[in-house]
Amino acid sequence: MAGINLVKGQKIDLTKGNAGLSNVIVGLGWDPAEPARGFFGMKKQANVDCDASALLLSENGKLINKTNLVCFHNKQNPNNSVVHSGDNLTGDGDGDDEQIKVNLKEIPADVHKVLVVVNIYDAVNRKQDFGMIKSAYIRIINAAGNSELVRFNLTDNYTGFTALICGELYRHGGEWKFAAVGEGSHAAHINQLAERYI
Amino acid sequence: MAINLSKGQKIDLTKSNPGLSKIKVGLGWDTNKYDGGKDFDLDVSVFLTNANGKVDKESNFIFFNNKQNENGSVVHAGDNRTGEGDGDDEVIDVDLKSIPADVDKVAFTITIYDAESRSQNFGQVSRSYVRIVNEVNNEELIRFDLGEDFSVETGVVVGELYRHGAEWKFNAIGAGYKDGLAGLTRDYGLQ
Repeated sequence: MAGINLVKGQKIDLTKGNAGLSNVIVGLGWDPAEPARGFFGMKKQANVDCDASALLLSENGKLINKTNLVCFHNKQNPNNSVVHSGDNLTGDGDGDDEQIKVNLKEIPADVHKVLVVVNIYDAVNRKQDFGMIKSAYIRIINAAGNSELVRFNLTDNYTGFTALICGELYRHGGEWKFAAVGEGSHAAHINQLAERYI
Repeated sequence: MAINLSKGQKIDLTKSNPGLSKIKVGLGWDTNKYDGGKDFDLDVSVFLTNANGKVDKESNFIFFNNKQNENGSVVHAGDNRTGEGDGDDEVIDVDLKSIPADVDKVAFTITIYDAESRSQNFGQVSRSYVRIVNEVNNEELIRFDLGEDFSVETGVVVGELYRHGAEWKFNAIGAGYKDGLAGLTRDYGLQ
């Protein structure tokens, strides 16, 4: 089955239309934008190191403990229902650059929302922002069979932003839904972004 | 105590509240989930329609540039709200008994100003509601929480007051519009 392409703001049922769905992979991808060509040819540009993270939020939208921030320095939550599969330093190549595995059925009951974000590592020092990134997307894959369920291409102009709130998995009644968020943020570090939810 | 309506529900307003005439219609929403970098400006507009659901004249379209109808029975309080009933972002004062006889419906809408260029839609809006308060004693009569059905829409018809015989009733509509205020004014016969 081909994935459903979402537009910004769109919300879609995940588990309702896919009975039994539990293990999903949240795939995030991006490419470095073409560097500006100097007069004498290619200008060397520093790598833009994007990092994906998941914030596991309570019903009130709060991060109730540190272990609910799943990122490169805390690769999983206590019960392993949300696992970061590892850091990619360049964004080169096709396909997902980073993935987060989520077992929807095992997510602790006090977690109501899994907010998926991508931020640029060391953005301030390296003077980098999301204007230097193109073709960013978030997609949800059914881990059983690897079929893509939904995809959201982030097509807005995110110049000036150092973090992207890509999307959120959230409980709705007894089901899980996905919302395509696509909002930029000026947080310089994932911990700074997380502080907003404390 | 307020009655909570669900989408599509219709309820008597004046019949169960004899003597009711002056009401405040409060509309609220949250838009501060993320710091998207652009202002988020939601506007309440009110359409006074005839029996066919159309607005006969421009003065019956009440919005930020036309804050009341001709006889002042429907008034957009704008920034002059009292702060009473905290949570309301915009309030419309309605005097049911004075609404002109050729007005059959008072439809309340919320639209996102400049939505397209700011790349905004109702997917970023949460906890939107409409409530009707008896202005005499500030009692909340009814409340309709819009839930989370909206996403790519840039306008929402929240609900409408309508004549039913000699009484006024309220219909909880909650219908989304993809082309904002322009689409709404067109559908209400203004363009």
